[in-house]
Amino acid sequence: MINHREGIYYKIMINLFRIFKFALQGFFRNFWLSVVTITMMLMAVLSVTLLMSMDYIKETTIESVERQIDILVEIKPNANREDIENFVLEIDDLEEVDQVVIITPEKNREIFLKNNTGEKVKEVLSVYNEDENPFSYSLNIKAYKFSQYDNIINFVNQEKYSNLVEASDLDTHEIIGKINSIANFLNKYSWYITGIFLLISIVVIFNTIRISIYTRRDEIMIMKLVGAGNSFVRLPFVLESVFYALAAVLIVIAISYPLVNFIQPSLNNYFQGDQVIDLVGYFRNNFVGIFVYQFVILAFLNMISTTLAIKRYLQV
Amino acid sequence: MIKLIDLSKSYNKKVEALKNISLHIKPGEFVSIVGQSGSGKSTLVKLIIAEEKPDNGKIIIGGWDIIGIKDREIPTLRRQLGVIFQDFKLLPKKTVFENVAFAMETCGFKSSEIAKTVLQIVSLVGLKGKEDRYPNQLSGGEQQRVAIARSLVHKPKLLVADEPTGNLDSINTREIIDLLKKINNMGTTIVLVTHNKDVVNSLHGRVITLDNGQVISDQSQGRYLL
Repeated sequence: MINHREGIYYKIMINLFRIFKFALQGFFRNFWLSVVTITMMLMAVLSVTLLMSMDYIKETTIESVERQIDILVEIKPNANREDIENFVLEIDDLEEVDQVVIITPEKNREIFLKNNTGEKVKEVLSVYNEDENPFSYSLNIKAYKFSQYDNIINFVNQEKYSNLVEASDLDTHEIIGKINSIANFLNKYSWYITGIFLLISIVVIFNTIRISIYTRRDEIMIMKLVGAGNSFVRLPFVLESVFYALAAVLIVIAISYPLVNFIQPSLNNYFQGDQVIDLVGYFRNNFVGIFVYQFVILAFLNMISTTLAIKRYLQV
Repeated sequence: MIKLIDLSKSYNKKVEALKNISLHIKPGEFVSIVGQSGSGKSTLVKLIIAEEKPDNGKIIIGGWDIIGIKDREIPTLRRQLGVIFQDFKLLPKKTVFENVAFAMETCGFKSSEIAKTVLQIVSLVGLKGKEDRYPNQLSGGEQQRVAIARSLVHKPKLLVADEPTGNLDSINTREIIDLLKKINNMGTTIVLVTHNKDVVNSLHGRVITLDNGQVISDQSQGRYLL
């Protein structure tokens, strides 16, 4: 009984070894066919990788823009410090508010001069004496989420604070609305674009495998006529298709990292300031998410495509 | 070895390729099946190797009625037969050794046994020293020898040769027929399907003549009639 079982295990092992050997032979001996097949898959993997990179850049950009948004509430010049501090406490109590900072008139003057260096600005300010300051208090408010600014603006613009709040935030309101709708638009359509890209990739992969199997249909039929079982014929081709996937992903890895390192300085120059698009870091930290998943999905697609494509030639 | 009883096969229910054929081929025989193109010779071979299924009748090979054969049993049947074809049907990306070994690998033989047997059989068909060549590096006659070696390597009791000399010149044809005779002398039953008159006449063996899907002649010491 044990010998019989050992015999079966031996047979399974030897068959697996032969399937692996035939797959390797098929991969290397049909060199140009392999090159063409891998190239097609390479295009698909490269497209998806590019799409993921673009998505990362889009997400980071939107996030960065959202992070830079805050509301500046101008306080009336006659408001006293105590009322302002109470107002700040009430704003701070809002669950949407992350941070409220009081900007003093002196600080506002300093910021204004820093941002406006023109001669005309200096001329206008020269009307005032050294100890006179035309600027009043203002509040800088940051929300946790971009979408929460609407509520904060509505809170600040309440009638009961009209004796404190000078400036209407209608412009900010509009800008926030626009940014919000652009972000939503980008998110929505990037899904459509991703879907179309994936569909194209799947069709390309399926047809590439079909053509590859069609090219070798005589080989498949000969194997069957010589007495090979369906699995013994099919499995080397299935395994070979996994090798195609592996080769395509390895080539994309080999291309991507140097390319990303090459592009990164240009990105740094283009997006200056607070916005950081760390494409190198994205590729380094998401190796599994980008490449391992792509390999697994591609290998799975190849296996399914091969199994379907080879089926008709096994009917001999 | 082979019993065909009332065997019929038609294509698209219009073209009758074989009509009620009954034959009995005994173990160790060398039988030539002759006939013009369209007489049903190739259909007969396809039915014997279960490439196609008949409409009616029985095919018994070595006691096994293959009429109701299941798809998963077909490889087992083919491993008990040796088949050679006019166009050799060699695997183009495998060497001579690998082509011959493939037939044994499908049966699950041990690698050491395969290596030993393949070298013996390659030597028997006169290709010693050419084991590492690919089919496109061989002449037509040599390719057919590889096909014969592959069909014999798992020691079948029956060898079916479908127009094995159809693509060969007269010298290679002679050599292949001599090789088949040698194999027959070693005890293997041979069914040779051909329309080569000289080959059939030189064999002085049993000749079954097909015409229009029917057996019109079955002579134990026959000649090419058509």
